[in-house]
Amino acid sequence: MALRPAVALPRPRWTGRSAQLVVLVVAVLGWWLLSGIAPPDAVPSPPATAVALGAMLGTAQYWSAIAETAWTWVLGMGCCIVVGIPVGLAIGANRFASASTRLVIDFLRTIPPVALVPLGLLLYGPTRPMVLLLVVCGAIWPLLVQAVYAAAQVDAQLGDVARSFRLGRRYRLLHIFVPSALPFLMTGLRITATICLLLTVTGELFGGAPGLGNEIQSALNGVLNAQMYGYVLTSALLGVLVNVLLARAQRRVLRWHPSVRTEKP
Amino acid sequence: VNTRLRSVLTEIWLPILLVAAWWMGSASSESVYFPPLATIVDAFRDDWLFARIPTDLVPSLQVLALGYGLALVVGIGVGVLLGLARRLEQAVRPLLELLRAVPGVALLPILIVVIGIDTDMKMTLVAAGAVWPILLNTIDGVRGVEPVQLDVASAFRLGRIARLRFVVLPSAAPQIFAGARTALAIAVVVMVVGETVGSTGGIGYFLLSAQRDFAIADMWGTMIALGIVGYLLNVLFRILEGVVLRWHRLHRVRLEGRS
Repeated sequence: MALRPAVALPRPRWTGRSAQLVVLVVAVLGWWLLSGIAPPDAVPSPPATAVALGAMLGTAQYWSAIAETAWTWVLGMGCCIVVGIPVGLAIGANRFASASTRLVIDFLRTIPPVALVPLGLLLYGPTRPMVLLLVVCGAIWPLLVQAVYAAAQVDAQLGDVARSFRLGRRYRLLHIFVPSALPFLMTGLRITATICLLLTVTGELFGGAPGLGNEIQSALNGVLNAQMYGYVLTSALLGVLVNVLLARAQRRVLRWHPSVRTEKP
Repeated sequence: VNTRLRSVLTEIWLPILLVAAWWMGSASSESVYFPPLATIVDAFRDDWLFARIPTDLVPSLQVLALGYGLALVVGIGVGVLLGLARRLEQAVRPLLELLRAVPGVALLPILIVVIGIDTDMKMTLVAAGAVWPILLNTIDGVRGVEPVQLDVASAFRLGRIARLRFVVLPSAAPQIFAGARTALAIAVVVMVVGETVGSTGGIGYFLLSAQRDFAIADMWGTMIALGIVGYLLNVLFRILEGVVLRWHRLHRVRLEGRS
C-alpha cells in the first residue's frame, strides 16, 4: 500500500499553470522582438507565422507531409522493436554472447547515422527506404543496449526463489522475467522513439525524401520563411506529442514499479 | 594472465571474423555500390592517412569542440540554476519540452538565414542540438540530490558556493555525464549535417560530395573514418568520465561490498 502524507498538501496547481503560460507568452514576445531586430524578412513575426500556419492547415500538402513523417516513424519504430528487443535479450541472456558482441555494438552505435545517408541515396534514391535505413541503423541502439541490460540484470535471487518454489517456465517468464525487464525496455523505447523521429526528419531534410523535413528544406529554398517556421514548429509539436504519449504509456505499464509509484503527482 | 587472454579473445573474435567475412565476401564484388573492402581500405588510406586530416578533419573537430563546449557550459550552468529553483523550473518546463523537440537539423535553415553560413553558424547549430540532453539531465541530477545531504550541508552552515561545489555537483555528476555522452553523439551528427550545406570543407562535405561524384570507394572510406572518429571520441569520453567519476565508482563498490 502506498504511503500518503496524513495531511493533504495544498498543490498550487493553478499558479503553476499560469506561470507556465506567462513563460510561453514571454517567449513569443521575445521571438517577436527578435523578428523586429533581425535583418528584414529573416525571421517572420509570430503573427506572420501563425497566418502562414493557418493557411497551411487547409492544404493537403501539409497533412500529407505529417502523414509521411508519422508513417516513416511508425515503420522505423516497428523495425527497431522487432529486431532490437529479441536480439538484445538473446545477447544479454548469454554471457559469452554479450562479451563477444560488446566491441561490435560499441563500434556500430558510435557511427554517426547520417554517414549512411549517401549509401541510402545511392541504393534507394530520395525515398522512404532511404530514410528507414538511416532511422533503423541510428535509433535501434538504445533499445538494443537496454534489452541487453534487461536480460543480464534479471535478479538472480528472484530466479532462485522461483526455482525453489518450483514455479513453471511460463510463470517464471511472465511473473519474474517480464516485470524485471520491462523498466529497461520502456526506457530504451522512449529514447529510441525520440531519436527515431529526429532521424526521420533529418533524413527527409538531408536526403530529400517526402515528409516534414523535405518541406522545411523546400520552404527554405523558396525563401518562404514563415512557412518554414510553421513546418519546424509542426515537427517540434510532433516530437512533444511522441514524448508525452510515451511518458504516459511508461507510467501506465510500470504502475507497480517504485520509480513510478514514488513519483510525485 | 590466462584468464585475461581468454577475455580479450572473447571480445575480439567476432569483430575479426566480421571484417574477414567482409573482406572475403566482397573481394570479387562487381557491384558498383559495394566495392571490395581492399579498394575501400586503399581509398581510406589515400584520403584519411593523413592527407585530408588537416584540411577536412581538423576544421570539423574544431566546430565540434566549440559547439559541444558551448553546449556543456550553457547546459550545466542553466541546468544547475533551474535544478535549484524549483518554481522557475516548473514554469519553463513546457517551453523546454517544446524547444527540445525541435529537430536540431531543422534549426539549420533558420540559422543560415539569421547568422549566415560560417563557422559561428555551425558552432551554434552543434550547440543548439547538443544542449538538451545535458540541460535536462543536469536539472534531474540536481533535483535528485539526497535531501539529507542538503540538510547536513545546512547544519554545517555551508555557504552557497561550498554547497554547490561539495554537495550538489558531485551528486549530480553521474547524471550530467550520462547526458553529456548522449549529447556528444548528437553533436557529431549535427556537425556532419551542418557541413553538407554550403560549406567547402569538412568531413561531412567530403562525404556528400564523394557520393555525388559517384566516388563510391571514397564514400565508404569516409564512412569508416566517421565511424572511427565517433568511436575514438566515445573512448576519450569514457576515459574522462572514469577519471572524474572515480570516486563515484569506488563509492558504489564500497556500498555493494558492504551489503
